[in-house]
Amino acid sequence: MVEIVVLVKQVPDTNAKIEIKDGRADLSMIKWITSPYDEYALEVALQHKEAVGGSVTALTLGPARCDKTLKDAKALGVDKIARVDVDEGYVDSLSIQSMLAEACKSLGAEVVYCGKAAADTNAGSTGPGVAEKLGWASIANVTNVVFADNSLELMQPAPEGQAKIGVNLPAVITCDKGMGEPRRANVKGIMMAKRAVVDLIETGNFEGNTSVIEHTSPPQKPPGKSYEGSEHVSEVVKLLRDEANVI
Amino acid sequence: MPYEALDFYDVDSLLTEEELMVRDMVREWVDDKVIPNIEQACRDGVFPDEWRQDLGEMGVLGAPLKGYGCPGLSYTAYGLICQELERGDSGLRSFASVQGSLAMYPIWDFGSEEQKEKYLPKMATGEYVGCFGLTEPDYGSNPGDMITRAEELEDGFLLNGAKMWITNGTIADLAVVWAKLDGKIRGFIVEKDDEGFSAPEMKGKHSLKASVTSELVFQDCKIPKDRILPNVSGLRGPFSCLNNARYGISWGAIGAAQACFNSAKEYALSRIQFDHPIASYQLVQNKLSWMLREITKGQLLAYHLGKKKDEGNWFPEQISLAKMNNVDIALEIARVARDIHGANGILDEYPIMRHMANLESVKTYEGTHDIHNLILGRYITGIQSFTRKL
Ligand SMILES: Cc1cc2nc3c(=O)[nH]c(=O)nc-3n(C[C@H](O)[C@H](O)[C@H](O)COP(=O)(O)OP(=O)(O)OC[C@H]3O[C@@H](n4cnc5c(N)ncnc54)[C@H](O)[C@@H]3O)c2cc1C
Repeated sequence: MVEIVVLVKQVPDTNAKIEIKDGRADLSMIKWITSPYDEYALEVALQHKEAVGGSVTALTLGPARCDKTLKDAKALGVDKIARVDVDEGYVDSLSIQSMLAEACKSLGAEVVYCGKAAADTNAGSTGPGVAEKLGWASIANVTNVVFADNSLELMQPAPEGQAKIGVNLPAVITCDKGMGEPRRANVKGIMMAKRAVVDLIETGNFEGNTSVIEHTSPPQKPPGKSYEGSEHVSEVVKLLRDEANVI
Repeated sequence: MPYEALDFYDVDSLLTEEELMVRDMVREWVDDKVIPNIEQACRDGVFPDEWRQDLGEMGVLGAPLKGYGCPGLSYTAYGLICQELERGDSGLRSFASVQGSLAMYPIWDFGSEEQKEKYLPKMATGEYVGCFGLTEPDYGSNPGDMITRAEELEDGFLLNGAKMWITNGTIADLAVVWAKLDGKIRGFIVEKDDEGFSAPEMKGKHSLKASVTSELVFQDCKIPKDRILPNVSGLRGPFSCLNNARYGISWGAIGAAQACFNSAKEYALSRIQFDHPIASYQLVQNKLSWMLREITKGQLLAYHLGKKKDEGNWFPEQISLAKMNNVDIALEIARVARDIHGANGILDEYPIMRHMANLESVKTYEGTHDIHNLILGRYITGIQSFTRKL
């Protein structure tokens, strides 16, 4: 019986168009989703429980809107859902990692899963950071896991190809694709999610030492090339093949 | 491009968390599993068996029914499920309508305790497929004069006659069949292996190609005594089922219309003629804004009817109006969308022509468009005009 915690983050829809207003990303009209790699982490966590028994808690950090991500996790079959409540706005990575590590401790975690990177920042720092704070082993970008009672066997990309890694729990694992398509919710799960209550976890207040000075949009893409007339056919075909890799 | 549903009047804000989650679950499934495979299914003329399994696993079959392993969702959630399924294909929604509203519902409402226990849990998981046999070759809009007969024997019933146009017939494990016993319409459950029963598939459809349509043939088909639905007689039986299915269709049609609108909008924005996107021309904008107008009205109609169904405060003519209107506008939207797509509109690369052909069936089944007009005419005037006998 192992106490499994999976970290899930709510991020702007990866297709959302984000506007900058007064030097800040305007997220007021954004559609929010669960960060895609966290969905893989959820899948691994649920498979871990199915393999050796135990309990899975989905944990997030953020304002109340993030409860949607927790409810979605509950609909997939996690046992408990918990949130560290923070106000809307920027929280620096070190504080996030410290608060999540405390929350993991208070949940009695023996293994922590999360996505290899969040779709919004793409930083990939949360998993290793939480491991550091907990003083646990940290294994990143895992594509396959074999579960045993107190240890795991993991596959991870290595310069020579793949590395098979053994680790004794406790550990923090960040997940890449590989353990199969994340499962789909069903109506029973959704009914459970409706009734589920989010556990609000109190942690100490960690003052960060970074702040955002300004957000800017990514540079505009240069305009595309255009060609007119049949004399360019061979050049266009060459570019489509060699540069765009579409043919 | 990921699907973005038109929701001009923010109907989403009226939905519960549970309804939204169910809707999104089905929406994602349709995007992942149905839309990439639907054209092949139509070409092959099959209803893919994985869809049956997935619908069962998602737990959406018989959505508004409670108990016996059924989902127990709201009628609004059931409507949303139909909407998303039909955005994929009307044949898929037909499968779910028949299973839930036409086969599970009569067993749930009119069946014996034993019948409910025996069939409903397995139908909710999709393990058993059901079909609904009302229409006959010579009796479509006028099922009251059906000729399929049941005769009571010592140890069962003997059925003779034929049904036609029966969705899911050939793939069904059981059929809910309406037949006359001593001149009164009664419901019977016929299982696929019952002696004297066969369900040959009807071929050659230009519409609902991914849905199985069959004849049901009963030649001295003998069934046990406990297969009669004990708690209903007369047209009320089949008509109660149809009320639920028609309600679902009023949402489903909005899904098909949304698919056509979406495709037309994207196409109009990207297609350049006379140096500009065709979306920049007033005639095309007029078509798009008409689509938006009709979809929005249809959504509000379906949503409000769903609330009334959930409150148990509705009458059948309200369902007639919603079914008739929403299918009508969906079909017209498909036609206008085809026009906007120009020649491309006839290709199976776009969903338009498929939806258009499908909606021709949807306009006819579950009460033709004009039969619903007659139902409303009778409601307004108090005079029935189905036959000349007044
Ligand atoms: C793909 C498909 C699937 C189907 N699935 C099922 C199923 O699962 N189970 C089932 O039982 N049935 C099913 N049906 C049958 C469907 O319900 C009938 O087709 C429908 O009721 C109409 O009957 P009909 O085709 O005989 O047309 P008819 O009743 O012959 O109607 C022909 C035309 O005459 C008009 N008309 C008829 N009577 C009048 C009147 N009094 N006044 C004015 N106009 C009138 C109609 O509006 C229509 O335009 C299905 C049909 C299709 C196409």
